[in-house]
Amino acid sequence: MRQRKTTWAAIIVAVVALCLISVLDATAQKKGGVLKVGNLGEPPTLDAHWTTATITEVLTNHLYEGLYALDARSQPIPMLAEAMPAVSKDGLTYTFKLRQGIKFHNGKEMTSADVVASLNRWGAQSTYGKGLYARVAEVRAVDKYAVQMQLKEKTATVLISLAIPNNFAAIYPKEVIDKFKPAEKATEWIGTGPFKLVEWKPDRHIKMVRFDDYQPRKEAASGYGGRKVVHINELLWMPVPDAATRVAQIETGELDFADDLDLNAYDRLKKTAGVQPIVAKPYYWLVAVFNKKEGLMTNQKLRQAWQAALDMEPIMKNVAGGHAELYRLDSSLAFVENAPWHTKIKGLPWNEHNRDKAKRLLREAGYKGEPIRFMTTQEYKWMYDFALLTKQQLEDAGFTIDLQVVDWATLVKRRNNHKEYDAFTTGMGNFYDPTHHIYLGPNWPGWTDDEDLNRMLAELAGEGDYKKRFALWEQVTRAFYDKVPVARYGDLFGLRASRAHVKGFDTTLMRPRFHNVWLDK
Amino acid sequence: MLVVVTVVFLLIHLIPGDPVAVILGPEANAQQIEDARRELGLDRPLHEQLLRFYARLLRGDLGRSYFLDRPVTQALWERAEPTLVLMTAALFVAVLIGVPTGIVAGAYQGSWWDRGLMTLALLGVCVPGFWLSLNFIYLFSVRLGWLPVAGYASVLQDPVAAARYMLLPAVSLGFNQSALIARIARSCMIEVLRQDYIRTARAKGLAERSVIFLHAFRNALVPVVTVIGITMAILIGGAVVTEIVFNIPGLGRLIISAILRRDYPVVQGVVLLTAAAYMLINLMVDVVYAYIDPRIRYA
Repeated sequence: MRQRKTTWAAIIVAVVALCLISVLDATAQKKGGVLKVGNLGEPPTLDAHWTTATITEVLTNHLYEGLYALDARSQPIPMLAEAMPAVSKDGLTYTFKLRQGIKFHNGKEMTSADVVASLNRWGAQSTYGKGLYARVAEVRAVDKYAVQMQLKEKTATVLISLAIPNNFAAIYPKEVIDKFKPAEKATEWIGTGPFKLVEWKPDRHIKMVRFDDYQPRKEAASGYGGRKVVHINELLWMPVPDAATRVAQIETGELDFADDLDLNAYDRLKKTAGVQPIVAKPYYWLVAVFNKKEGLMTNQKLRQAWQAALDMEPIMKNVAGGHAELYRLDSSLAFVENAPWHTKIKGLPWNEHNRDKAKRLLREAGYKGEPIRFMTTQEYKWMYDFALLTKQQLEDAGFTIDLQVVDWATLVKRRNNHKEYDAFTTGMGNFYDPTHHIYLGPNWPGWTDDEDLNRMLAELAGEGDYKKRFALWEQVTRAFYDKVPVARYGDLFGLRASRAHVKGFDTTLMRPRFHNVWLDK
Repeated sequence: MLVVVTVVFLLIHLIPGDPVAVILGPEANAQQIEDARRELGLDRPLHEQLLRFYARLLRGDLGRSYFLDRPVTQALWERAEPTLVLMTAALFVAVLIGVPTGIVAGAYQGSWWDRGLMTLALLGVCVPGFWLSLNFIYLFSVRLGWLPVAGYASVLQDPVAAARYMLLPAVSLGFNQSALIARIARSCMIEVLRQDYIRTARAKGLAERSVIFLHAFRNALVPVVTVIGITMAILIGGAVVTEIVFNIPGLGRLIISAILRRDYPVVQGVVLLTAAAYMLINLMVDVVYAYIDPRIRYA
């Protein structure tokens, strides 16, 4: 009898506790308010199909959605598609069922006609879309809520290409697509996303509000996908180009959130009451890209000598302003956070800081101290910093480096001309599929046109089995460190900050998202 | 004007850089960049682009911004208000501080007042505007919390907020210039006070105040007005830095971002507008001369 009483008591306590938790939870997630986000400037466009620029990626992912999104493990999960696609036995036909009753910001329901038009436009204009569409024969509507993609040849990259957030396969209404051909930037920004654009005043703000007809998915939020609920009324993006001003504005509370902050501000932000510094992982791995079409760096031995001479620790420490939390030494071509493709191969010739080996390789290369033109820019301080330290380390090993400091617009122009440089600095972001690593292929500045790498990448694109693909990816990584198409440095992290009253922000995301965020003022 | 237009066109096109590579983002490949260049007409020879530019200009068309998806004239118009407000406010600060300081220092030449004020003026000329701006922000916004760090509100919509946003930028931009005005005002005052008619006025037994304000002041003004004119022109340039630091969405910020992105039509538009503004300022200065000094007549 006593036992039964205790059981009942336990059940009652549990129910009351559960009720209390749900009530507390409901009150915790306050609705309303304006969230002011300071970012570094104006986007070149809000047409997601048009550019790979990070700022456009961040903004447009609040307005539009694709058929799939990436979860916390960087794996595709359904977003506007109802579920994972049905794939035919020969692997050539993908059928996507769409969610029903999904509204665009203009009130129109999303149907297969919108999806077909959007995918075709994305396939004609976007970097990743073009990559996938090289293998696509046709995309057509099966019925009002189903779309079929017919492939010319089998590829494992369909889902990942549709899910990546950069230059992404955003679904627009067909009317918008009809108005703006792929080569023309769309200037009507209508999507199905949880936020709706109300005003874009260049250099002043981009104002988004909660889209009340948005229908969240049932699955829990994970990465860039799952359940998205908008608690705030308004999301105000303020372009603040000066990094010191962004830091001051988050300190005074004029901004609720500030992105892309100078790493040197880390200590100051940690000490400021009411401010939480957030380390953004991953950000970039730093890289020196070699010109393999013409000039000195076409010599593989010379590239290997560059790789052998580098001592990553002092370089990365300096770039990260001395903060160990803001960088990481890792040789995998995919970030740790990109779990499916992160490799742990031991004994790669990375971070060797072996001056003797470098000198031997220089001799074998027949190098006579000719100046190597190494382009960098001060517009991104981290690029300049690592270029400067690289010059020093390489010259200690016997290189002659002609460091050419130009502005970013000049750098991106010159790097497309094989006559103008031997190496340039940049950063590599997160590539979600092995076939997307641009520096491994022949179509990107530096022009890696290597027979072995091309063959392995083609195999990777055609192979469907994950285990076989991973084995191939490890082979690519080994080949990479032998052929050295680019010199991989360490991982650098980004710095952002929020005020303490900003709650629910997912700090594990590489790029910020403001759904599921609320203000506790 | 034609010379300005041509020089600017050539300068901006001759420095290396590619707007398209910036717009398309770091991962775009060469083919995409070529396609977009063709779309914007950037693959045409330079002389052809220049002729097209002249032809458009004659029709009053400054072209379309590559980045902002709107005509350049519209982009200029949207940003004219913040810059005008900033310049006017800074000029007001400069004159308000500069003229009285110079007059007092000149009238009491050699006194402690003179030495103190002129040392301050020397400091004012030497301190760079951006340094002053950052220190103002640190002191008045971050430490004391009296004023916002940065931003802008339209005078027409919210005058109080506008004043709060504008105070620090106007003072940091105007302070430099006030020093220049003060020095000129002082030397003019000294020169005028040495004239015969001042001696006469004093000999008539007029009060020193009347001598300074009624007889000397107006005569000392002509060179001061020239300096104020020059100041306005300098302010256009100084506004660039101030607008960046205080995040004011004006023409200065526009031209900096346009140069960094190689948004050629916008750069040309802003420079053209600035050149026109210089000419207008010069004209205004000449008109004001005639008003201050009736002896000046333009035939």
